[in-house]
Amino acid sequence: MNSLSYVSIMKEWDIVAARQMGRELSKQIGFGTVDQARITTAISELARNIYLYAGEGQICFEAIKTLDQKGILIIAKDNGPGIKDLSQVMEDGYSTSGGLGAGLPGVRRLMDEFDIETEVGKGTKISTKKWVR
Amino acid sequence: MNLQIQIDSKNNLSIVHLSGEIDVYTAPKLKEALLPLTKTHNGLVEVDLEKVSYMDSTGLGVFINALKLSTEHDCKLRLVNLQDRVLRLFQITGLHEIMDLNSTIRGVDE
Amino acid sequence: MDTKDLDARTYADLLSRYIETQDERALYGAEKISKSFIRKNILPEEIVNLHIQALLDIYPESRDQILPSMNFLLEAMISYGLAHQEYQMLREKQLEIKSEIQVAARMQKMLMQTEIPEIKGLDIGVISVPANQMNGDYHHFVKDKDGSISIAIADVIGKGVPAALAMSMIKYAMDSFPASRMSTSTILASLNRVVEQNVDPGMFITMFYAQYEPKTGKLHYSSAGHEPGFFFSKKKNRFIDIDAKGLVLGVNQNTTYSQSELLLEKEDMVILLTDGVTECQKDGKFIEREDIVEVIKKYMHLTSQEIVNRVYRHFERLQNFDLRDDFTLVIFKKVV
Repeated sequence: MNSLSYVSIMKEWDIVAARQMGRELSKQIGFGTVDQARITTAISELARNIYLYAGEGQICFEAIKTLDQKGILIIAKDNGPGIKDLSQVMEDGYSTSGGLGAGLPGVRRLMDEFDIETEVGKGTKISTKKWVR
Repeated sequence: MNLQIQIDSKNNLSIVHLSGEIDVYTAPKLKEALLPLTKTHNGLVEVDLEKVSYMDSTGLGVFINALKLSTEHDCKLRLVNLQDRVLRLFQITGLHEIMDLNSTIRGVDE
Repeated sequence: MDTKDLDARTYADLLSRYIETQDERALYGAEKISKSFIRKNILPEEIVNLHIQALLDIYPESRDQILPSMNFLLEAMISYGLAHQEYQMLREKQLEIKSEIQVAARMQKMLMQTEIPEIKGLDIGVISVPANQMNGDYHHFVKDKDGSISIAIADVIGKGVPAALAMSMIKYAMDSFPASRMSTSTILASLNRVVEQNVDPGMFITMFYAQYEPKTGKLHYSSAGHEPGFFFSKKKNRFIDIDAKGLVLGVNQNTTYSQSELLLEKEDMVILLTDGVTECQKDGKFIEREDIVEVIKKYMHLTSQEIVNRVYRHFERLQNFDLRDDFTLVIFKKVV
């Protein structure tokens, strides 16, 4: 499998494809069972957000390396409406879809590094990394 | 703890239908919906409280705020179809003397 | 990761022991290790993983049967793990906020202290219980040099520190008006101007203000939109509403107030309250003002302080020890 690949999100079913690819890559990189599940859940959350709010977008996967660590980089991007009130969306207790625990704060908890760029009317790009322990 | 707000606007007339309870939890929602309407110059805002089963002093505070704004902006504010307990609150606090409270049929007089 | 291995070992041992013996001690061990997991912030999905490893150890030949269903459970548990972490965060935030309010409440208590003055021939009882940490009700007594007493009872609509500041405005205003020189209606008008200029457009204050002269037994009073009190006439053996009308403080700069008078004779009673009393509920419905009178009748023969205490206990029990609103009750009886 390429170290850089992606899945287009257009139908709900594509979320499953993104999960699958994410889990495969995580296993290859050497993540344990629990972390594989965590990464997959994070991908699921990101893909679902694209599907629900942007209508269309991509989840990109990349195996990454530093001198002493290996890990996975997930990038979720779309040209959707963007996020209006970012600080509110990143706050615990705020949720539009799903109940308590989901949303972007959830993704941040599941992964090690989290970054988000968004512009109203233009789109959103979320990059998130996890390292093998 | 639940409040439904439905607003029908046409030209300078807005009719606000409220349903449920106005208390410390729902008052901010009412404030957000009602106050901007009272800033209409030469406008009329009618609030229908027929389906409001409960209101406490926090709710009254929102109407006082709305009253002050409407006076500032030359807008008329009218409350109609108040239930007994809610009407009592306006009476005890003396607000019934300075506010337009009645049970006329909606939107007829203008 | 020493402790992690220790946990895994302990869990596996407890599990295999329970499978073997099904005894209560192993289950108790499970309870203890569960508590230690929570203390260490171990997430549900990790516990499922511990279980999987332990099971594979115990039943290595059943690997294919166990693994799929347990992995399925692991996935399902991840959302619970996220929810748990969010709860933790919210709980911490809540504790922070609570302690901030505690500081404000202590400040409020200190600044608003009012003593019940000793007035010849008058038995005064007071109870004021906040529904939360900060009290939105306010009451104040000022004894004047000539022996007369000013009594104020108020309900500040608005929350937290701004409301408490409004109360201190009232207190300091009252402390500086010599009771005998200004009428109750003038005082309310002055307070109204001060409040109107200094509070948010949605804030207002209801207030009942009275002056009592022990020499004449006369009670002068005015009301700014406050819940009407009761007057009990011993001679007529009747409770009547103290009907005083006036606009709440803080709405209109130029509001004027009217003033009325009551003559207190021996064993007459005046009962003042805030709407925290009238908003009590019984069987899901709000009580009537008559219900309050009924309860007071039961304890009328006691001292004023005893009466207010018992009335409060009665309604506190009625609300299942969870009051919706701040509850304030003031009773004074003319005893000679």
